[in-house]
Amino acid sequence: MASPSQRPPSKLEVFVLGFIGLAGFVGLWLAASTSGYVPRQFLPTPFDVLARAIHLLTSPFAGATLPVHLARSLERYACGVALAAAIGVPLGLAMGWYRWLDDIVTPVFDGLRFIAPIAWVPFAALWFGTGIGGPIMIIFSGAFPPCLISAYRGARFVDSKYIEAAQMLGTSNLRTVAEVLLPASFPSIVAGLRVGAGLGWQSLVGAELIVASAGVGYMMVQGQSNISTPTVMAGMLAIGLVGLLIDVALRQMEARVRRRRGLA
Amino acid sequence: MSAIIFENVYRYFIRDGRSFPALDGIDLTVADKEVVALVGPSGCGKTTCLRLAAGFELPTKGRVTVGGQQVIGPGPDRAVVFQQFALFPWKSVEENIAFGLRNQGAAASTRQERISAIIKLMGLEGYETAYPHQLSGGMQQRVAIARAYVLDPEALLMDEPFGALDAQTRIVMQEELVRIARVNPRTVLFITHAVDEAVYLADRVAVMTRRPGRIKEILDVRSVRKAERWNDHERIEDVMDLESFVHLRTHIWRSLREEKMEAAP
Amino acid sequence: MTHVKPSSARLRLRFTRRFLLGTASVLTLLTAWVVLTMVTGTISTSRFPSPLQFWQSAKQIVTVGYADATLVGHALHSTRLVVIGFAVAVGIGVPLGLLMGWSRRAEALINPAFLVIRPIPPLAWIPLAILWLGLGDAAKIMVIFFAAFVPAVINTFTGVRAIEPPMIEAARMLGTGRWRLLIEILLPAAAPMIFTGLRLSLQASWTTLVAAELVGALAGLGRVLNMAQQDIYPAMVMVGMAAVGGLGWATTRLLAEVERRAMPWLPG
Repeated sequence: MASPSQRPPSKLEVFVLGFIGLAGFVGLWLAASTSGYVPRQFLPTPFDVLARAIHLLTSPFAGATLPVHLARSLERYACGVALAAAIGVPLGLAMGWYRWLDDIVTPVFDGLRFIAPIAWVPFAALWFGTGIGGPIMIIFSGAFPPCLISAYRGARFVDSKYIEAAQMLGTSNLRTVAEVLLPASFPSIVAGLRVGAGLGWQSLVGAELIVASAGVGYMMVQGQSNISTPTVMAGMLAIGLVGLLIDVALRQMEARVRRRRGLA
Repeated sequence: MSAIIFENVYRYFIRDGRSFPALDGIDLTVADKEVVALVGPSGCGKTTCLRLAAGFELPTKGRVTVGGQQVIGPGPDRAVVFQQFALFPWKSVEENIAFGLRNQGAAASTRQERISAIIKLMGLEGYETAYPHQLSGGMQQRVAIARAYVLDPEALLMDEPFGALDAQTRIVMQEELVRIARVNPRTVLFITHAVDEAVYLADRVAVMTRRPGRIKEILDVRSVRKAERWNDHERIEDVMDLESFVHLRTHIWRSLREEKMEAAP
Repeated sequence: MTHVKPSSARLRLRFTRRFLLGTASVLTLLTAWVVLTMVTGTISTSRFPSPLQFWQSAKQIVTVGYADATLVGHALHSTRLVVIGFAVAVGIGVPLGLLMGWSRRAEALINPAFLVIRPIPPLAWIPLAILWLGLGDAAKIMVIFFAAFVPAVINTFTGVRAIEPPMIEAARMLGTGRWRLLIEILLPAAAPMIFTGLRLSLQASWTTLVAAELVGALAGLGRVLNMAQQDIYPAMVMVGMAAVGGLGWATTRLLAEVERRAMPWLPG
C-alpha cells in the first residue's frame, strides 16, 4: 500500500534514492566533522572510524584486540541466552499446560517484569564482581521474558484439535507437553527466541559498560575514558554489525521453520 | 447527462516482465439514470471494469468517461460502495456519512439536512452515534450506501455490494435498493455473482466472457419488467417465481456456463 | 487439562483458585525471604537484604535522603528525563514513520540512514553521549532519544503499511485532501500499532535511562543504584530497584489509559 496517488517506484528508483540517502548521510557526517564546528577529537570522520576499527582488528586496546573482545562478549551472550531459553521455554510450556503452575508463577513474574534488566546490575556487581556471572545474569534477565512468554502463548493457544486428538489417543500429560505442545508451539517459540536474543544482546552491552573487564562494551568504556572517540564509534559499529548478523541469522531460521510448517 | 461510457477499453497487467490481458476491448454504455449489472465468470475482469470507472486504475488503451468527463482518478462524483464496506471504524455512523460532504466543503447546516435525510431514507435512525463494529453487516452496508448516496454522485459504482452479507440480509437489502432507486434514481453500474440479483435489480445485464474479458451479450431486462409488470409484485420471491424472470435468469446462467466450461481444464 | 469451554460457575471457581494460588505463592516467597534472611541467616545480609533492612533503607531515602536527594527528588529527576527524551523521540519518530509508510520514495531515501542507526543497541550510545555531553542531563536525554526513536518509527511505519487498501480507496473516492487524509484516516487507522510502538519506546526509555544513570550521573534513580552498589548497601539497591519497577509500572499504566481513551472506537 504505497501512496496510491502515484505509481510505486521502480526497482531502479529505489536503488538510486537509497544511494542518494546513504551518500547524503555519509556526506553530512563528513562535512560536520571536517567543518571545524566540532573538534575532530569528538567527531571523527567516517574514515577515521573505519581506520580505527581496522587497526583494532590486530592491535590490542584495553587488554585485547577487537576480535578477542567480541569473542568474550559473545561467550557471555551465548551462555546467558542459552540459559534463558533452557529455563524459559520448558517453564513457559509447562505454565501454558498446567494452569496451577501458571497461577503460581505469573504473579511473581508480573511483579519482577517491570524492573528493567539493567537494574539488576548492582546486584550482579555485588554478587559476582567483574566475573562472568554478572553479565550472564543480566543477559538472562533480558532474554528470559520473551522466551517464557512466547512458549507460554504457544502452548496456551495451541489449536484444540491437536489436544483433543492427543487425549483421544490416551496420551499422558508429560508426553502431551513434549510431543504435542512443543512442536505445535515451535513457530511461536522461535519468534520469541529471536526477540529474546535481541534483548539479550542489548542487555549485554549495558552489562559490559559497568561490570566487565573485557568485552566490546568494556572496550568502549575505556575508549571513552581515554577520549578516543574513534574507538567508541568502532565499538558501536562492531556491536551493531554483530547484532544485525545474529538477528538476520535467527530470522532465516524462523522463516525456515515457518516454511517447513506451511505457515508462510 | 451522467452516462458511464467504456470506449474500446483494454487493460493489461505487467508481472515479471510479461503482460497479462485482463480486459480485451470493452465497449459498454450505462445510460443516464440506468442500472446496469455486470456479471461474468471469476477472474473475467468485471472488478477491473468497475475500478476503471472509479478511477482507481487507468486503462492501457481506450478510455472511460462519466458524465462526459474522462476518468483519471477517484472522486465523489463516482461514489463507490465496496464489498467489504470500507467504513472508517473510528468514526461513528454519522461521521462516516458526513465525511465526504465535509471534503466538499458543504456548510454545516446543509450537511446536517442532507445527512438527516439520507439517514431516514436508509432506515438508520437511532444509529447515528454508533460505531461500525456495533452494527450488523447489513446495517454497515446501509451506512456505506448512505455515505455514497449523500454525495449526490453522477454515478454509483457497487462492487458486489451484498457479497459479504448472509443470504437473508441480502434479500432485504436488494428490496431496499429497489425502493431507494425509485425515490432517488441514479446511474448505477454494479457487479455481482448472483444472477438473481442482477436480473432483479438491473435495467440491463451485461455478460462478460472469461479472461481476457469482453462483453459477450447484453440483455434488456427493463422492457421485460415493464411488459410482464414485475413491479406489481411487492416481494422479491413473487417476482422470482415469474416465468419471464426464470427465463432471463436461465439464459444468463447458460451463457455463463459456456464461459466456465471453456475455461475449465 | 481439557479445552472445553467452561461454564460460568466453573469460571468463577477457576478465578478464585487462580487468586488463591497466586496469593499463596507470593506469600510463600515473602515468608521465605523473612525466614532465610532474618531467622536462619542462610542468606547473608551482605549479599541480599532482609525485609527489615529494606524497610529501613526505604524510610531513610524517603525522609533523610540518599545520594544527595530524597526518593521523590531522584524519582522526579529520572521521570523528567524519560518524559523529555520520550516526547522528542516520538515527536520526530512518529511523523517520520508516517512519511516512510505512506511514500515508498521517502522510505527508499531515508532507509539507508535509518538502517545504520537501527542495529546499534541504545545502551551502546552511552559512552559516546558521555564523551559528547558529559555526565549531565543532556547526555541522558540523547541516549533516551535513540532508544525510543527506533521502535516509534518502525511501528508507525508498519501501522501505515498495514492499512487495508479499500480504506484508502474509500477516502480517495470521497475526495479527501492530503491533510485530512493524514489526520482523519492514516493516524486513526495506524493508531493501534503506533501505540504498540509507544509502549516499546517507553520501556526502552526507562531501561536506557537507568543504565545511563548507572554509568554515571549526578542525580536520579540510577545514581541511587550506583552509589548503593559502591557503598555495598544491598538494601538500598533493592529500594532503588523497587522504585524503578514502580515508576515503570506507573508510566506504563498511564500510557495504557491514554491509549484506551484515544481509541474509543475499539471494541472492548
